[in-house]
Amino acid sequence: MSPYAIRCVDVVRDFKSVRALDHISFDVPSGIVFGFLGPNGAGKSTLIRVLLGLTMPTTGRTEVFGVDPARDGDAARRQCGALLEHHGLYERLTALQNLDFFARAWRLPPATRSARVQELLTRFGLWDRRHDKVGTWSRGMKQKLAIARSVLHRPPLVFLDEPTAGLDPVASAALRDDLARLATDEGVTVFLTTHNLAEAERLCAQVGVIRAGRLAGLGSPAELRERRTTAALHLRADGLADQVWSALGSAPGVSRAARNGDNDVRIDLADPARVPELVEWLVGQGVRIHEVRRERATFEDAFLDLIDRQEERK
Amino acid sequence: MITDLWTVVRKEWLEILDQFMRFKRGGWTVLLVIFFLGVFVPLQIGAEWATTTVMFFYWPFLTASMTSTIVSDAVAGERERHTLETLLATRLPDRAILLGKVIAAVLYGYAFALTNVGIGMVTVLVRFGDDATRMTWSRFFLLLGLIGSSSLLVAGLGLLVSLRTATVRQAQQMFGVFFLVATMLPLLAIAIAGAERQAAFSIWIAQQGVEGIGLWACAIASALAALLIGVALWRFQRGTRALED
Repeated sequence: MSPYAIRCVDVVRDFKSVRALDHISFDVPSGIVFGFLGPNGAGKSTLIRVLLGLTMPTTGRTEVFGVDPARDGDAARRQCGALLEHHGLYERLTALQNLDFFARAWRLPPATRSARVQELLTRFGLWDRRHDKVGTWSRGMKQKLAIARSVLHRPPLVFLDEPTAGLDPVASAALRDDLARLATDEGVTVFLTTHNLAEAERLCAQVGVIRAGRLAGLGSPAELRERRTTAALHLRADGLADQVWSALGSAPGVSRAARNGDNDVRIDLADPARVPELVEWLVGQGVRIHEVRRERATFEDAFLDLIDRQEERK
Repeated sequence: MITDLWTVVRKEWLEILDQFMRFKRGGWTVLLVIFFLGVFVPLQIGAEWATTTVMFFYWPFLTASMTSTIVSDAVAGERERHTLETLLATRLPDRAILLGKVIAAVLYGYAFALTNVGIGMVTVLVRFGDDATRMTWSRFFLLLGLIGSSSLLVAGLGLLVSLRTATVRQAQQMFGVFFLVATMLPLLAIAIAGAERQAAFSIWIAQQGVEGIGLWACAIASALAALLIGVALWRFQRGTRALED
């Protein structure tokens, strides 16, 4: 199997006067949970459609396990399961009928079809409601059924568009565990979009951030946090005389300093590597330091920073 | 392909059955229609019901009307209920999806017509006994051909309309206009043809007889249906038009 589940090379997708995808290039390694984050209308769903061969890129090229969906959509889709923007369930049919239909659509052999459907309905706690019309279900139950449908044929790549939307916290946590196990135990690549940054940080090995069709950032959540333009230091100290305070702005590695009370100082670092030098300088100025604490950028900070910077570039 | 067709037909029929088995809505309407067409009308026409010429006009017309209610929902309904994208993300070929919906709609038309014809036959036999005229096998197969070809024609037209509209309501409205034009055009053509042409046409119809006219109608309807369905298949392609129309 290809080491990359997804490859995008300079993908552009225009809709009349709107550029939905603007020279997107990135790779998704196989067997990980990849998060694709961005504000509403950023182009996340459009990219998923392109990767499924449901929409053609205007220019550029994509690959799903080495197959170009624009040239051979069926071969690409064969390897994919999808929960798209809408759950896509037939509300006039029962849960059993829905999964049976999709199992037939995916050409699951008759011998294994029923067992697989039962396995998934049981795993997602829906077996007792299998004869109910899906239209009578809650949003969360429909979401679970749609996720079950997306993994029905055991695809090596699953697209999940906001999979935990509408789920209660317990169900969300259970789903996150399921998705993590899919990747680690079964080697399935999960490409998910979510607005829940905490979920993305917890679940995703890698994350891509998209804004207005352009890729704003790519890396693991930890890498994106570290790359945030400023880091900060919290200091609890006394002996900060006025002349020390006025010289602090030009001290080693400092871009800005602000007081949070008499003895608490927040220092924005221009160069985080110079923290030891800064501490030495402060001590040299007669400052008595009681506590030094590095403020790590949160993932949310990193995400918002990437989005703002992308906006500035426009 | 056959398996994929059957998968789609099966799903369509499950949805149709759900829609009309709900007695609060469509179920009662269907029963009323069956009573009217299968019991009331045969009793009114009398013992000759099975052999009246008008049967070869109103059954195909009625069946086409029933088929249109199903086929308007074919793609527009999937789009409106947000199931189209997920359906296209499966392995089902474009052709299987569209043709499966056409087959389901035509089968629905057949089921409707044959149910009513069957009930009608039983009605006249029970009421009139040996006085009830029997339909010949050739006329029966001709009737089947007319029902099928009219359903196919309507299915093809309805499919094209359904591909272009975002909602079922729009599809039904647009289809209604096309249907009206399609039925009025031939009559209009005859009306403006002039007395001489009208007379020649009347002679030709009389020479052909019911069977001849029926066969011509089947052939023309089938050819038009093939053209319309072909255009629908060409238009309905993943990645190009289907989701962006």
